[in-house]
Amino acid sequence: MDTDDEQPPYADSERQSQREDERSTDEFSGRRTNRTRWVGLGRLAVTRLWKRTTKTTSRRVVATISAVALTIALLVVVTGVALALADGGTTTENDADVQVMPESTDLLSSINGVEGARLGEANERAASIREAEGVDHATPVLTEPMRLERAGEGGTTVSESNETEANATDNRTVTDPQTVLLVGVTPDGESRTVAGLPTSELASDADTTADTANATDTNATAAQGPGQRELVLSTTAAERLGVTAGDELAVSSSQFEITDTPPPTVTVTAVVETSGDDETPVALGHLRALQTLSGSSEGELADRVLVWGESDAAADRAAAAYPDATVETPDRTDPSLLFDDGLAFVTSVLALVVVVAICAAFVATTAGMTVNEDRRMLAVLESVGFPTHSRLAIVAISTQALTLCGALLGGVLGFVGIHVLNAVASGTIAPGAVAETHPLFLPYALVIACVAGLIAIPYPLVIAARTSVLAEVSR
Amino acid sequence: MIHRILGTLASAASQPSDERQPTPAVRLDGVTHEYGATGGRLRAGEQRTVTALRDVSIDVQPGETIGLEGPSGSGKSTILHAVAGLLVPTSGSVELIGTDLTPLSTRKRTHVRRQHVGIVFQHFHLLPSLSARANVALPLVQTGVPKRARRKRATELLTQVGLGDRTTHLPSELSGGERQRVAIARALATDPTVVIADEPTGELDTATGNAVLDLLTDVGRERAVLLASHDESTLAVADRVITLRDGQVVADGH
Repeated sequence: MDTDDEQPPYADSERQSQREDERSTDEFSGRRTNRTRWVGLGRLAVTRLWKRTTKTTSRRVVATISAVALTIALLVVVTGVALALADGGTTTENDADVQVMPESTDLLSSINGVEGARLGEANERAASIREAEGVDHATPVLTEPMRLERAGEGGTTVSESNETEANATDNRTVTDPQTVLLVGVTPDGESRTVAGLPTSELASDADTTADTANATDTNATAAQGPGQRELVLSTTAAERLGVTAGDELAVSSSQFEITDTPPPTVTVTAVVETSGDDETPVALGHLRALQTLSGSSEGELADRVLVWGESDAAADRAAAAYPDATVETPDRTDPSLLFDDGLAFVTSVLALVVVVAICAAFVATTAGMTVNEDRRMLAVLESVGFPTHSRLAIVAISTQALTLCGALLGGVLGFVGIHVLNAVASGTIAPGAVAETHPLFLPYALVIACVAGLIAIPYPLVIAARTSVLAEVSR
Repeated sequence: MIHRILGTLASAASQPSDERQPTPAVRLDGVTHEYGATGGRLRAGEQRTVTALRDVSIDVQPGETIGLEGPSGSGKSTILHAVAGLLVPTSGSVELIGTDLTPLSTRKRTHVRRQHVGIVFQHFHLLPSLSARANVALPLVQTGVPKRARRKRATELLTQVGLGDRTTHLPSELSGGERQRVAIARALATDPTVVIADEPTGELDTATGNAVLDLLTDVGRERAVLLASHDESTLAVADRVITLRDGQVVADGH
């Protein structure tokens, strides 16, 4: 404001220096005054908003916050679903050092029927990776949703088929076959984690080579040697199926009814709590058995290959085995996965655009109405000496503060929404979680709300700038 | 630039009175103002205007209380708004402590108003969501006064107007007289040279109105006060009463 003041010339250097000292002090004081003024304006805007909400008329404030919260919650939920689509859900929970995935990585999600590219000749190439120096172990991983039931019951309750056993197992009830995500691996007897479950609970494939050597035809029963007939269940899967370690399970499929062959059976070797999402029923079994059951044995298909060992050696060997695939260090919490998956990326971008548009439109409308009601307040501010930019700043800060409040609430609602969605989905359309949460969702929600607020702000500012102080104070 | 204006204002205010005629706190010189009329049928190119003030000239000295009387539409409020820099007259000049406000930009007029003019409205115009103290401290926010100093100044002023125990009350929790006293305290927050009051007792009963007038009389001992009212008892506190008819001064006397 005082920059256009002309400085008088000074003859001697002492006076010149003194003048410069004074000027720098003035500039500092001016900056401090400016800062105090802006802090005061911000405080005035927020205080007014708070008191208005708590002590006078809160309806419009509550409506604005609710609308923003709902749209932001929608954004968080849809982004969570997109992340789960990109990430493959619980089945990616592992402790491998390197993983190989198809280039077009639409991995199998926990939603039935959503399937992407797979790796071919996985068993053979994994075996070649295992032979490399510095590699401890490599296993293809195949994930398939399967319907399982207690062996020999055919949808009847435990109490009907085996009353004694039912009484002994705390009234566990099995009514229908349950869908479980079956994850097939090649265990080596070491303690490793795949899909959140320990592979060490399965017999090493080295012990079952003789059994699997003949497992090349499509006859499911013939495919399973004694060593292949075992499963490790997550606690969720065990609860749904109503089984414990040692129980027998049968694969429920119409193909066995049509061909009139007995369904293959497996033994539950252990029930373990998963290290990740506990809402998805997961079972860990032998790869070859699952490939045979799912019809993937011919091409030795797998969703990914996991490699343990020295990262560099493992990555080099994996890249050599699959030159066209993506070789990376597994990180299930990496939201950049969204950029690698077409469907997930488009879903999240669409959600972003829709939410920003709805949010900005609603905030602009309600803020415009609020400013229209507040014209007298703006006139009073002008009459007591608030220039236009200060009045507009108060309107902008109020609008942005409201939007941020809504975003915070929306972020929390979004996290709650993801859990509710997972609970509903696991009870209806999917065997487990269909959406994932991530700590970055909250700052993401705040930034998006800020953007929506900034888009919305010009409208209330135009209304505020048009306010006539004389018209308002004379009313 | 603003500092230069304020410097001029300050130096003008500090001119020794024995050397020359004291600079009036407010001077209106040949002020005419026309409002653009709205409504009714206008022919193409026709512009209808309403003349609110016609060649009005008034001097107000520091420490003087001036009463403006006249029927509705006579131009009382227009004079007050011109003095406050809320409007620029169509012609003539409005000087505040020797500086003409009419050529200044809106921003500079706002700055001068913040520093030198306190306004008391008929309908109080307090912000309903702020406490009495926050309302009084409002003009100090824009001047960059720190929060603690604002609160101290506002509390002092509220105590001065007899509301020291009502600082945290919202306007809705105060009576009409108390609200007007808060409005007067707000008008004094920046220690202005001129206080203008438009129908300050218009919404108050007689006893409360008298209390508010006593307060304005105290305020007027150190400042120039312009008081617009229909009410003769209100105008009785003025040192001089100017009567307006159809935007013209028809009487100016004690």
